[in-house]
Amino acid sequence: MSIYRHKCHAIPELNTASLPDLIFTILFFFMLVTNMRKVTVKVKYQVPQGKELTRLTKKSTNSYIYIGKPTAADGSVISNNTQIQLNDKLVNIDEVTKYMVEERKTMSAEDRKQMVVSIRADKSTPMGTITDVKQALRKANALNINLAATNQRN
Amino acid sequence: MFKRERRDIPKLNTSSTADISFMLLILFLVTTSMDMNKGVDRQLPPIDKTEDQRPTPINARMVMKCSITADNKIVIDDKTIDKKQIKNLAFNFIKARGKEHIIQIQADRKASYDTYFQLQNQIIAAYNALRNEHSLATFGKGYDLCSNEQKAVINEEVPQRISEVYTMSTEATQKGGAE
Repeated sequence: MSIYRHKCHAIPELNTASLPDLIFTILFFFMLVTNMRKVTVKVKYQVPQGKELTRLTKKSTNSYIYIGKPTAADGSVISNNTQIQLNDKLVNIDEVTKYMVEERKTMSAEDRKQMVVSIRADKSTPMGTITDVKQALRKANALNINLAATNQRN
Repeated sequence: MFKRERRDIPKLNTSSTADISFMLLILFLVTTSMDMNKGVDRQLPPIDKTEDQRPTPINARMVMKCSITADNKIVIDDKTIDKKQIKNLAFNFIKARGKEHIIQIQADRKASYDTYFQLQNQIIAAYNALRNEHSLATFGKGYDLCSNEQKAVINEEVPQRISEVYTMSTEATQKGGAE
């Protein structure tokens, strides 16, 4: 004799109909925040740390200059000479001006005014290289620059 | 009469949608790089095509000369300065001199970029602190909370006047102002 009635103990099925929706939401979030890398970086660089940083907003107006030590395909550093990378190739300092002028031509008229060149340079780069790059940018009339850095934690 | 057939709409099996979206999610998770593009904004002086550039007369009292030596020491007005003191020094300097001040930065070609960046960072910190103080006095709120028009007013009051001396490889020096 038992007090409890014995029901049929079938485990109720969990309704997973909304699971795809949840996943899609997360997916869309990641799709929005992600920025696909267009170029393969061929130099190794570590940007300096700072506190007073501003964010680069518009992607279409930005162009990047990478300065660091050249690396092989597997990521190992080949030499200690500082190299400048524009788009996909390593260039000399005298080519920077020409390239920046080309880059300006590809932009739309509105973007051209707000063009920002982000210099992503390694910490240990000698200032001479940076100065030369700045001069080249002045010649190309790309006057807004941004010295890339990461936030300092303390 | 025709016998109506009862038609049940067959249910679409959607149990695999979750798997598909999971795959996409993982793809984006792996490829995403969360590093924000952050940095210090600077403006370069335009190149003057005209050859005869007349140096504008500047009161020597209004200039703070910062230079970075080849062995990464920061020298301000002939004194070697510790990195932490720059902000205070610049803050007091700008506050005392007002709109007419000029900060001059000269870096040796062999100095490291890091030192230069830290110097820039400290000077901007000083500017930001001063602008914040100004906006608190005028508008009663921090610089970050000000509207764009208010920020423009503050920027007019506390302009960033940084000039950089470019040491060229041919030993010829060129002077240029930023912002």
